[in-house]
Amino acid sequence: MSDTAIIADDLPTVVRLAEGQTFGPRVIPVDRSLIVRYAGASTDFNPIHWSDRHARAAGMDGVIAHGMWTMGAALGAAISWIGDPARVRSQRARFIRPVPVPDTDEGTRIEVSGTVIKVADGLATIRLDVSHDGQTVLGRVEVQVTNPKEPHE
Amino acid sequence: MSSAIESTGLRPDHVGRRYPATEPYVVSAAKIAEFATAIADRSPAYHGSDPIAPPTFAMVIAAQAWQGLFDDPELGLRLDHTIHTDQSFEWVRPLRVGDAVTASLTISSVRQRRGTDIIGLAVSLDTPAGEHLATASSTLWHTREDA
Repeated sequence: MSDTAIIADDLPTVVRLAEGQTFGPRVIPVDRSLIVRYAGASTDFNPIHWSDRHARAAGMDGVIAHGMWTMGAALGAAISWIGDPARVRSQRARFIRPVPVPDTDEGTRIEVSGTVIKVADGLATIRLDVSHDGQTVLGRVEVQVTNPKEPHE
Repeated sequence: MSSAIESTGLRPDHVGRRYPATEPYVVSAAKIAEFATAIADRSPAYHGSDPIAPPTFAMVIAAQAWQGLFDDPELGLRLDHTIHTDQSFEWVRPLRVGDAVTASLTISSVRQRRGTDIIGLAVSLDTPAGEHLATASSTLWHTREDA
């Protein structure tokens, strides 16, 4: 990392992103009640997301978070950095590992960090690293956001 | 039971098959707020007098179009034999309260290896007036029962 890298939390609300800027890791707690809430909000009621019995029958150790919950929460972490969700133009991800969500008061958490890997043509591309318990859960995560051009561009 | 349509399984020549658009889904402030809370995204843009939806809210509408694929008797796909491996979105503009949105699914790719069909889907989200809002593309791995 270059010594000119800007620390995420020092950024003003919405700014021009530059290659090499980073944020995170941001920690997002998740427990059973949040996953049930996501099932209702998304209308994805696959029982592996709320029933240990069904999750075990499907080969998991227990209830797992929806892959789309993880993708949406990870994007939310990037949005809290860039300031405005209307800037988001694209996102892609590969679902590599499930996020198990234990039936405990504390639940679990994912960690999200990001790096601006490209800035061109009014767009910035942010690569996100999304992990649970030290292991990557989403792969190839890239988010493209609109980015104001430098005056000389 | 009618057996007028035999399931022949998914084939590469199903690429390009399109399914009818879903009935329009009307985006509401309550559903936006519920979804934002569920993904722990605290942006103020999802609240107030003119809220927009979190970007991945598009999946709530796009997933409704998947039903046509699983209901297609010719393909013989089973949801409980399917895993969702990749997802991508391209957004033209944020969804807003009051937007009516249809979802139209096209099979964009089919690859087969051993007992698995690898299916690419593209779901186009549009207004009934024809304004394109977003595309949600997915890769599904489907294990065939005869595998």
